Amino acid sequence: MLLRAEGLTKTFRAPSGEAVPVLGGVDLRVDAGDFAAITGPSGSGKSTLLNLLGLLEPADGGAIWYGDDRVSARSRRAQGIARGRHVGFVFQSFMLLASLTALDNVLLAARYVGGVDDARRRRARDLLAAFGLAGRAGHYPAQLSGGEQQRVAFCRAVLNDPPLLLADEPTGNLDDANGAVILDALRTRAREGGAVVVVTHRPDIARDATVVLQLRDGYVR
Amino acid sequence: MVGALRRYAFTIAGIAIGVAGLVALGAIAERIVQFIEGGDRFVLGQISVAGRGMGMGAGFTGGGLLPARVIRRIAGVEGVSGVQPQVMLPLNPTTSQFMTLTQELVLGMDLSVPMPNRHYRELPVRNGRFLRDGDRHVTVLGAQLAASRGLDVGGRLVLEGQPYEVVGVLDRMLTAPDRFVIVTIADAREQWVAKDPMIRTLLASGAAALTAGDLNTGAAVGWRDGADPDAIARRIRADVSDVNVQLPSELSRLLRQSTAFFSALIGGIAALAFVIGGLSLANTIAAAVFERVRDFGVKRALGASDLQLGREVLAESLGVTLSGGLAGIAIAAALGLGIDTWAARTGQQLFYFSPRLLGGALVFSVLLGAASATYATARIVRLSPAEAIRRGA
Repeated sequence: MLLRAEGLTKTFRAPSGEAVPVLGGVDLRVDAGDFAAITGPSGSGKSTLLNLLGLLEPADGGAIWYGDDRVSARSRRAQGIARGRHVGFVFQSFMLLASLTALDNVLLAARYVGGVDDARRRRARDLLAAFGLAGRAGHYPAQLSGGEQQRVAFCRAVLNDPPLLLADEPTGNLDDANGAVILDALRTRAREGGAVVVVTHRPDIARDATVVLQLRDGYVR
Repeated sequence: MVGALRRYAFTIAGIAIGVAGLVALGAIAERIVQFIEGGDRFVLGQISVAGRGMGMGAGFTGGGLLPARVIRRIAGVEGVSGVQPQVMLPLNPTTSQFMTLTQELVLGMDLSVPMPNRHYRELPVRNGRFLRDGDRHVTVLGAQLAASRGLDVGGRLVLEGQPYEVVGVLDRMLTAPDRFVIVTIADAREQWVAKDPMIRTLLASGAAALTAGDLNTGAAVGWRDGADPDAIARRIRADVSDVNVQLPSELSRLLRQSTAFFSALIGGIAALAFVIGGLSLANTIAAAVFERVRDFGVKRALGASDLQLGREVLAESLGVTLSGGLAGIAIAAALGLGIDTWAARTGQQLFYFSPRLLGGALVFSVLLGAASATYATARIVRLSPAEAIRRGA
């Protein structure tokens, strides 16, 4: 078991002060090799669940385990270390740093986990080359197409070889061809023994998933 | 680092403008401080004595004639190490009295006596040479006066119809001597007689037994090592009649009182400079950090700790504020130089970029930049990575 969540709840506060419940007690279990899909209409809590699973924000209730480690109970600092070692993120809007080149964006993952050395630099270049970006390593995000940016973001997510990949609408801003490249990369990752959790609207992605979680108004349907 | 500097070009420009304002206003304040401190240093270095009376309208030790016999008696007072007779005259009697802080004066010095002023054993000469005992019809000019008249060594200045050759120009001292015409005392006496019909009448009448050596407007008095100058001054006052004696500490206090307005102005300018420059700098740095809130969220998603982010921001802010600070100093210096070049045509200098001002401005900017960056970072790292990404989107 790579990832387990039990009874996750989350409530946001509206500007008026009103409590807006987003998740009402969600369970999830993901094993090595799983390709999990979280689906549901807009506002159903999919992205919030993914943020909680990736320790990007704290849950109000429930617990999360990475393997046997109940990470939700750990300190903020320890959660940061766990996040860096266990999770790679692919965001819908890529989240590349505009001031860094493609290569430096990929290496950013190493900067905070393990450090940047020649081996990491070589691996970053190899990853970029594998995704057809060898000639784009020195380009800044603004000089790359959306598809290229998402491929760079994927390279960053897998540079440290984390066991778990969390992807939030990874094809949402891409055309079909570029979307297919990213989906194929995610599926390959799962086939090779990693675990992938994807938030998606697309039924075709959910159809191929080994685990499917359908949310409606913060609850599993 | 070069990449970071390029990224932060606008931030650096913003800081540079703030620091330039701070340094420029500071340099104006420093210029005023130099003037006041220079005068203070001068009056504290000697006891100034003039003859008793309403004053000859000359110099800042105004009084009556100080005849040679009185000077001899002063020299005999216990603790006195030397007395230098002087003649101080307004260069232009019709205007020199109005601006007492910046009056143009002719200073005649008896060079057979070493300068008794402990803080100015000799006046610093930039070009040419200083006067020698026995010189006639030659002059050494203060820097500001020389600049205002376009004079340098070899030039000529006409004083009371008599041409004087400029043999030296003093270093800019940023205080009273910058506007002096220095001549030997014999020449000064000659000018005094030429300027003043009353003296001419007195000498011609034979009513008073006066010789050239009696024509002194004052004297600079030195004291022996270890002596208390105020005590010596009081002793001169007690032992020698018909003299106006200024206690160095009293003269210093009077000078400071007369420049109280300028001191307040300096305080105001300095406070203004700190507030404007400081706010501008702090705001620029904090805004630069806050606008990167999304980047912080992404970095924390990738596993960056608060400490790692704090170190990164601090290093970058130090680089940025240092660059902005240096650029600001360069801008202020260029601005000051330009204005001073223009002002030099009238013999003025408005800015003084002292090492303590430049060093202080740089340290101030770096510390304030670091504090602002630390504050902004501390605010941002309190957010969860997801919240930071949301806010920065």
